[in-house]
Amino acid sequence: MDGRRLLDKLFKATVVALSVAVLLPLFHIVGTIIYEGGRTLLEGGLGFLAGPPPLGIGPALAGSAVLVVLTTLLGVPVAFLTAVLAVEYPESLVGRAAKLLSKSFVEIPTILVGVLMYTLIVVPMGSFSALAGASALAVVILPYVYTYVEEALSSIPRTYREAAFSLGLTRAKALVHVFMGIARRGIATGILIGVAKAAGETAPLLFTIGGGTQTYFRGLGAPIDAVPLLIYQYVQMPSEAYHRTAWGAALVLTLLYLAVFVAVRRAVKEVKY
Amino acid sequence: MSIASLRRYLSLASSISRLVKPSLGGNGYAASSTYALQTVGLNVYYGGRKILDNVNLAVPRNTVFAIMGPSGSGKSTLLRVFNRLVELAPNARVEGRVLLFGRNIYDPSVDPMEVRRQVGMVFQNPNPFPHLSIYDNVALGPRLNGLARNGEELDRLVEWALRKAALWDEVRDRLHEPATRLSGGQQQRLCIARAIALKPRVLLMDEPTANLDPESSRRIEQLIVELRDDVTVVVVTHSPGQAARISDHVAFLFSGRIVEVGPTREVFTRPRSELTERFITGALG
Repeated sequence: MDGRRLLDKLFKATVVALSVAVLLPLFHIVGTIIYEGGRTLLEGGLGFLAGPPPLGIGPALAGSAVLVVLTTLLGVPVAFLTAVLAVEYPESLVGRAAKLLSKSFVEIPTILVGVLMYTLIVVPMGSFSALAGASALAVVILPYVYTYVEEALSSIPRTYREAAFSLGLTRAKALVHVFMGIARRGIATGILIGVAKAAGETAPLLFTIGGGTQTYFRGLGAPIDAVPLLIYQYVQMPSEAYHRTAWGAALVLTLLYLAVFVAVRRAVKEVKY
Repeated sequence: MSIASLRRYLSLASSISRLVKPSLGGNGYAASSTYALQTVGLNVYYGGRKILDNVNLAVPRNTVFAIMGPSGSGKSTLLRVFNRLVELAPNARVEGRVLLFGRNIYDPSVDPMEVRRQVGMVFQNPNPFPHLSIYDNVALGPRLNGLARNGEELDRLVEWALRKAALWDEVRDRLHEPATRLSGGQQQRLCIARAIALKPRVLLMDEPTANLDPESSRRIEQLIVELRDDVTVVVVTHSPGQAARISDHVAFLFSGRIVEVGPTREVFTRPRSELTERFITGALG
């Protein structure tokens, strides 16, 4: 075997080894969650999903659902419109500012967003609340949704933009009937990433929602619980029962992710050019 | 005159001028205008670069007018001046006047959307909207511009446009399939149907056969000649042969300037400029 072939083999082997090294921890995490969480879920059954803590995650699950919906309502429209501004008016001051600001939001530590909402909403209202949590989450998901939507809209080939405008369409009509249609998969993915982030983030909730509540939803101005926060708090407890609940909650969170992703990506078909 | 009464007078005057100002639609045009399009002292810049230099053209109505020239001569830009699509480029600047049936479309009072409804366009690459069906590609323009009162009327309009584009027989049974399933030549005819469904008065075509096989190209060329009865066609081409086959009048554009313009037969048989002759005989790019 000559040196060139040897080098090629060596290179391939290195790439495979490194890939495995990267993927192994991921598989380990997912595997452990399925194994440990599966045990809890099988033992607890429906009572685990709907019941109160410490043996159930009902309030946290309901709270997460409320937070995700509220965050999506607050964050997605802002992110979407900012992306539209940046793509449609790239030269304008507003467009450029939107681009710069939205991207730099990624750099802000999420816990600081939580602290910000603590001073802006929790302190004036005098209470932890779903609203404060959702506001913090909305700020956190903004740059992610923005980036995906902007990417999706700006990757539409120029010829389709010209074709839309050549039909006498206004920017708004062209956006709704042509650009959003062509970019629908990218836009849907962006919104999904936002939803997933909103469901999985812990840090923005530490100073905003209160958590640890034994009750279900009591209004937007009242404290609320969330699954990631429950996991965070329960793994720090000394008792094994809490750890079991946290494992189960982790599995539920993972399964929800997968279900939503698969469902939406199947429903929204890719546009072929 | 007090300030208040002056203000009242001014607002009255402006509403009267709005009433009498001719709209771009149908009757607003001077019926006597023999030219569909005219450019007077047209200059176009992209940033600091001059793309078109003092272009003066007149396109007689219901004719096929070809703009030929080598690549980079400014043909596509000139075409995009006629429907104000050139303004999509943020650094583009247009000087001079462009008259559509006698009315300057660059007048501040003119809405570019209105211009584009009167001036349809077909592009170099067949570009039917990939997320829409064959039917919806044609129906989108009329639907969003309120040209059909109900579904039945829209159906009739779509059929009319597809027949005009010589595509109806091939797609009548598959109207709701994605447009991207059609062949390249069919897609280009669909784009022609999409453009003429708005019943424009001028149809712009930017090298419409550049990316098609010879048989599809022949069909499109035949179609262009037939369309002349309904609309004025301005077609850009880099091929002198195509210009000779399909056009009534031809302009030769080189480096952003009009070198020669006139009836096609005349330009091709007795070119006045040596540059034109070299282009026609293929000695030039």
